[in-house]
Amino acid sequence: MPKPKILVVDDDPDLVRALRLRLRANNYEVATASDGYAAIATAQKERPALIILDLGLPVGDGFVVLERLQSSDSLAGVPVIVLSARDPQSNEERALKAGAAAFFQKPADNEELLNVIRASLGPGQAQQAPWPA
Amino acid sequence: MDQQTTQVLLIEDNPGDADLVRLRLVEGKFPVNVNCVNRLSDGLAFLRAETPSVILLDLNLPDSRGAETFRRVMEQSPNVPVVVLSGQDDEALAMKAVHQGVQDYLLKGDISSKHLERAIRYAVERQGLLRALEISQKQQLEFKNQFLSHVSHELRTPLTCIHQYVTLLLDGLAGPIAPDQSDHLKTVLKSVNQLHAMIRDLLEATRAESGKMRIERRCIALGDLVRQAVAMLKPTADEKKIGLEIGLDQRLPLVHADPDRVLEVLINLLDNAIKFTPAEGAIVVQACMVEADHGFVYLSVTDTGRGIGPEAKALIFDRLYQDANSVDNNRSGLGLGLFICREIIRLHEGRIWVSSEPGQGSTFTFTLPVYSLAKLLAPVITKEGRLRPDFVLVRVELTSLTNPPRGNWKEIWRQALEILRRCVFLDKDLVLPPTGTSGAAETFFVVASTDLQQSGVMTARIREQLERMPDLRPKCGFTIMAAPIELSPAGADESLEQQVQNVADSVSQMIVSNMERKQSSHRREN
Repeated sequence: MPKPKILVVDDDPDLVRALRLRLRANNYEVATASDGYAAIATAQKERPALIILDLGLPVGDGFVVLERLQSSDSLAGVPVIVLSARDPQSNEERALKAGAAAFFQKPADNEELLNVIRASLGPGQAQQAPWPA
Repeated sequence: MDQQTTQVLLIEDNPGDADLVRLRLVEGKFPVNVNCVNRLSDGLAFLRAETPSVILLDLNLPDSRGAETFRRVMEQSPNVPVVVLSGQDDEALAMKAVHQGVQDYLLKGDISSKHLERAIRYAVERQGLLRALEISQKQQLEFKNQFLSHVSHELRTPLTCIHQYVTLLLDGLAGPIAPDQSDHLKTVLKSVNQLHAMIRDLLEATRAESGKMRIERRCIALGDLVRQAVAMLKPTADEKKIGLEIGLDQRLPLVHADPDRVLEVLINLLDNAIKFTPAEGAIVVQACMVEADHGFVYLSVTDTGRGIGPEAKALIFDRLYQDANSVDNNRSGLGLGLFICREIIRLHEGRIWVSSEPGQGSTFTFTLPVYSLAKLLAPVITKEGRLRPDFVLVRVELTSLTNPPRGNWKEIWRQALEILRRCVFLDKDLVLPPTGTSGAAETFFVVASTDLQQSGVMTARIREQLERMPDLRPKCGFTIMAAPIELSPAGADESLEQQVQNVADSVSQMIVSNMERKQSSHRREN
C-alpha cells in the first residue's frame, strides 16, 4: 500500500523540517508549502490525503486557503488540520466552520496530533457506521 | 471656557429659588441657556434626550430626596458635571456628595452671580479632566492587554520549534542518543512545558482582566472531575511520597459548571498543594454540601504543608502574587494560577477562599452552583397543584464516528440538542443541558411527563428528526433509550415541593449512574 501523503503548510521552515521528519518516521509521505498561494498549487499537484495548515501565512492566510480548498471540487474532501499559534477562542470555531477537521494550538502534543491524523485518514469510517435499529 | 453658550439644566422645585438662580446666571459675563424642570423624573427624561454642559441640582424634590437624588442623576449622565444647590448647610451630606462624584456643593443663600459662574466653569473643567483620565486609563489597559495577548502568541512560534526538535531528539528520530543525553533533553522538555504553561496563564489572566474569559456551563457530576484531577496529579504526588485521598459526600447533586474550567481549578489547587507539602505529607480533596448554603457544592483541597500566614492569605488570589518563601526552592511560575482560579469561580458565581495557620497546612475551598433540577422541573411535572402520574427519562446519545471527533462536532451536537427541544412539549417535558464532560460522545436527557408506552411517540419523533439532520448521519451514530422514573409512593403528608424534589433526586441519580457507567466502560476500553 502506498504511504498516505500529507501536505504541511507553514511559513516557518524550521518547523516544517521538524514536522517532515516526524511524519516520515510515522510512515507518511510529506509535501510542503510556505504560503497560501503555494498551498493551493501544491495541493493540486500533489493530491495529498491530508493537509496540515498554519493560519498566519503570507500570500493568502489559512482562512483563504480553507475557502479555496472547500470550493475546489477535487480538494474539498481532503481533511485539513489547522496547526496555529493563534488563540483558539477566536479562531477554532471559525476554522472548523470553514471546513477544517480539527484545530491544534501550537505547540501541539505530537501524539495527539498523530492520533487525529490517523483518525482523519481512517478507512471509510462513514460507511461502517454502527446505526441503531 | 470659550464664548460658547453654556447649556444648564436646573432641577429645582421651588419657583422662587429657580428664578433666583436663573437671574444670577443671566447676569453673568458668559452666555448661558437654562432649562428648568421641577421634578427628578423630568430631569432624567431631559437627560435621556440631551447632554447639557452642567446640571444644577436641588436635592429635595417632590419625587426624590437627599443623596438618592444625585445618585440617580449621575447614574443617568455619568459624564455631565453636577453642582448641588442646597438649602441646608449639611457638611456630612456635602462630603458624601463630593466623594460620590458631585463637582461642588453650594448653598443657595450664598450664591452670587460671579460665584456661581466660577463654580460652573471649574466644575466643567474638572469633569472634563476626569473624563480624559478615565479614557486614557482605559486605553492603557486595553493596550496592555493587547500587548500581552500579542506577546503570548508570538512566544508560541519559537517555543513550538524548540518543542518539536527536543521531542524529535528524545524520540530517537534524529539517531540514537545516550541515556545521559536523554536525561538532559527531558530537562529541556520540562522547561519547555513550564514555559508553555506560563504563556497559557499569561493569556488567560489577560483575558480574565479584560472580561473576555468565557465559560460553557454543562450539567456535571463532580465525582468524575475530582477523580480525573486526582488521577492526573497522582504520579507527581507519588514522586514526593505524598498521599492523595478523595472524600466525596454520598449523593452529591449535579452542578451547573464548565467541566474543563473546574478541572483546571482542581488541577491548579492540587498542583500547589503538592508543591508546598513536604515529602510523606497528605492531601485530601473533598466535595460536600453545607447545611446553611444548599445552593452550592463545596469543594476543598487540604494539605499538610507549611501553611499560609495572615498577610499572604489576603493577597494570595491577587494577580502576580508569589509567596516570597517559595522562590528559593522552586521555580514557581508567574503567580497567576490562583488569580485565574478566582476568576473562573467568580464567573460561576461561586466563591473561593483559603483557611490556614502557619505550620498547620492549608485548605483551599471553592463553591459551585448546584444545578437546581427541582426548580426547573416543578412547572413541567406538576399540573393544578398535583404531581403528574408518570415520568420517563429519555436518553439520547450521540457518538462521533471518530475519536477524537473531527470537524465541527460541537456544531453538530448543538443542532441535535436544538432538535430535541423542538420535539418535546414545553409544558410537560424538560430537555436538560448537556451533561458530563464533552468528548467524542454527548448524552442528552429529557424528562417527559408521560408513561413508557406514550414516550414511544416522542422517541420516534426524535429519531425521525435526527435522521433527517444533514450533517449528522455521515459523522455520528446515535441511540435513543427511555426508562420510567421510579418513585416511591408519596407519603400522605408530603408537600408538593417535596414530591417534586423526589422526582429531581431520582432523575439526578439516574443521570449520575449513567455517567459513571459510561466512565467505567470508557476505562475498560483504555
